[in-house]
Amino acid sequence: MNYNLALSDETLLGIEKPERYIGNEVNSVTKDKDAVDIRFAFCFPDVYEIGMSHLGIQILYGLFNSYEDVWCERVYSPWMDMDRLMRKDHIPLFALESQDPVKEFDFLGFTLQYEMCYTNILQVLDLSGIPFMSGERTWDDPVVIGGGPCTYNPEPIADFFDLFYIGEGETRYRQLFDMYKEARKEGISRQEFLHRCAKVPGMYVPSLYKVEYNEDWTVSSIEPVVDDIPKVIEKEMCTDLSSAFYPTKPVVPYIKVTQDRVVLEIMRGCIRGCRFCQAGQLYKPLREKDVEHLKELAIEALNNTGYEEISLSSLSSSDYSKLPELLDFLIESCKDKKVNISLPSLRIDAFSLDVMSKVQDVKKSSLTFAPEAGTQRMRDVINKGLTEEDILKGSHDAFLGGWNKVKLYFMLGLPTETDEDIYGIGDIANKVAKEYFETVPKENRNGRSIDIVASTSFFVPKPFTPFQWAPMNTKEEFLEKANKTRKGIMSQLNQKHIKYNWHEADASMMEGIFARGDRRLAPVILKAYEKGCIYDAWSEYFKFDVWMETFKECGVDPFFYTTRERSDDEIFPWDILNCGVTKKFLLREWHNALEGKPSTNCRKGCLGCGAAAYGVGVCLESKNND
Amino acid sequence: MIKLRLKFSKNGPIKFIGHLDVMRYFQKAIRRANIDIKYSEGFSPHQLLSFAQPLSVGATSDGEYLDMTVNSMTSTKDIMDSLNEVMNEGIKIEAVTELPEKEEKAMTLSYAAGYRIKFRQSLKPDFDWITELDNYLSRDKLPTMKKTKSGEKEINMKEMIFNYSLDRNKEEATFLLAMSSSATLKPALLFETFFKDLGKELAQGALDIHRLDIYRSGTDDNGLYIEPFIPASENERVYING
Repeated sequence: MNYNLALSDETLLGIEKPERYIGNEVNSVTKDKDAVDIRFAFCFPDVYEIGMSHLGIQILYGLFNSYEDVWCERVYSPWMDMDRLMRKDHIPLFALESQDPVKEFDFLGFTLQYEMCYTNILQVLDLSGIPFMSGERTWDDPVVIGGGPCTYNPEPIADFFDLFYIGEGETRYRQLFDMYKEARKEGISRQEFLHRCAKVPGMYVPSLYKVEYNEDWTVSSIEPVVDDIPKVIEKEMCTDLSSAFYPTKPVVPYIKVTQDRVVLEIMRGCIRGCRFCQAGQLYKPLREKDVEHLKELAIEALNNTGYEEISLSSLSSSDYSKLPELLDFLIESCKDKKVNISLPSLRIDAFSLDVMSKVQDVKKSSLTFAPEAGTQRMRDVINKGLTEEDILKGSHDAFLGGWNKVKLYFMLGLPTETDEDIYGIGDIANKVAKEYFETVPKENRNGRSIDIVASTSFFVPKPFTPFQWAPMNTKEEFLEKANKTRKGIMSQLNQKHIKYNWHEADASMMEGIFARGDRRLAPVILKAYEKGCIYDAWSEYFKFDVWMETFKECGVDPFFYTTRERSDDEIFPWDILNCGVTKKFLLREWHNALEGKPSTNCRKGCLGCGAAAYGVGVCLESKNND
Repeated sequence: MIKLRLKFSKNGPIKFIGHLDVMRYFQKAIRRANIDIKYSEGFSPHQLLSFAQPLSVGATSDGEYLDMTVNSMTSTKDIMDSLNEVMNEGIKIEAVTELPEKEEKAMTLSYAAGYRIKFRQSLKPDFDWITELDNYLSRDKLPTMKKTKSGEKEINMKEMIFNYSLDRNKEEATFLLAMSSSATLKPALLFETFFKDLGKELAQGALDIHRLDIYRSGTDDNGLYIEPFIPASENERVYING
């Protein structure tokens, strides 16, 4: 136990949830700082409860700490009350385990999970006393490295990072650490060290690449400024997940966090080629983990944490080939200790309903369908292989099994969307309600009725998806569409059984700007931060007006990044990276989308996306092209 | 089915973990230690676990109690050892005792709590608080307003202070205060009222509160006494009103 906290008792008693800052959680790792060569501060730039729920940090935290010469610690964004206090009293930001200032560390790693955390990166740098701009840092500062999904277009924040790690973290960090040790021993410059890193696969050193722009603001070229580094950075991928490190002693927080359970990753990647989905492309090809290995991991992690719940994690759990075997095992072995099993992202069918009835309280739990769009035409455009028939059949079976709560998820603003697609959302919701009344006779309802929640989010085109060429709707268009959706639902016969939620459009617009942004956004982000923008992912702190005003002051047109239709041959800022699927494939899929042509999934047939080059996972399975 | 009462201490940074989170912490520790705890019936079963009294955030303690029901066990020592093996240093099981089948919950039986109170270094009063407190406590009546569910009511703190001692050298005060379902006096309220009486305000977080133990009541030939739930020795009885 570390009794030397960075904050005084008086300070901790004067703020919300002091548990966010005291470390010392079960399974947190403490080492002798004089006995390690590398100190790594791993930051999730959001509040503790969000950051502690993230699987990626737990994996890399465990992996790094398994190295004798490395001590990895955690850092989260101080909440607003603590932020104010740290600025007022000049308290430097510290890592949780040692409670030492972040500035003293060798590395400061950020995991970048969503675009709206960008100002929080600046907060962490600021409170740590580390210069914002990579070029202004010296060996007195940690090497600032970023990873995670947003690094697939890191350009808007490229100036703030020394280095990005593109791809899955399991593969290259050991090499990076050895290079760092060597560099410090040799006494070479920081810039020379980064130059060496740039030669390592997966490492993107933005300062070593120069971006040129056309007069119309599009990118004209991205070139390395030295000739011995790659022109395109290939993503790193873990080819054997079953033998890769997986944490069975994750840190167990004291306070309730968002993901308060053992998370068991059963596979990585997805066979479904939903055209709006970035994760589906980034993690290709699908790689399953060995089921016997998963059983061991599950038991070990439950024993080491004492959690009362285990959750299976993947992009589409129903596609895991040994799912029945794994679930049978878990149900049996979780019985004694009353451990709950949660099953997100399951397709609703006879099998999943059977499993759900065993592990959940049918009366309390709800069914989730994500049709994403209101008509079959629109679903063909986005290549979402879920039909109205699937939804109604799944609902029918579920209603017979006693369920009466249904959640439906949709997106608004998809490419080629018409009013018909929007009004289709109300139609589907109404049909589900109708299905309930036809399936469950009045005498069997026991005073209950059908309860449907339809939610829409606004579509944000993401890099490395077929929709990276697509124009995004304006805020006004979004709100008009939400309004139409609401009217569509209100006009339905069963409208009083349907509740409708929609997201805010302001935040979606910001997300859209950053998602396909370029390096000219860095001054905007910095200026907005200096004007007090922080915790943009939290609607109570998000200051849309300040952002818009800042764009104006910086002379940057935000709509250039969102509503513009991109030509087929446009050079994108993220073309400097290769995520494993080719641009040619994505373009083909974009054209298929515009023609309303769905594509098959990876198990039924190969679409030639390019990921087969890795020679692993689903790409090696024989295809069942029927 | 065996009923057990556990005594534990809470020290160090863990003092910032609130009561509900300490409960959650124990639920997980019990699973890690593979204790054959009994669960309630129903669709969402919970462990049969109950705590004597919450401890406020920031306070440390040498005498916290929780009751649990197990289906089976090897020995009370085994329960203690297996829990301590999976515990963070800051929370330690100090003793485990088996209870008679009909024993009521510690929550119901608790009668008083012992406290040692100091001031945190940076928020120490700028006056001789020991002398002032000594004077204050010697009054016949110590009225204050206590917040209740329905509003506020006046109570006499004097009746809720079973005994106290003040140590000028160590700059600390020790109290035995009522803590039962019918009457509870928290040290913070006592000090707030004392400060108010002097026309001063007690700064937030100024008190360094350490709970020494939690007591139940009983009577013997010498009259009404209180003693810790799990006494370390026989002579820990304190006679009150006698």
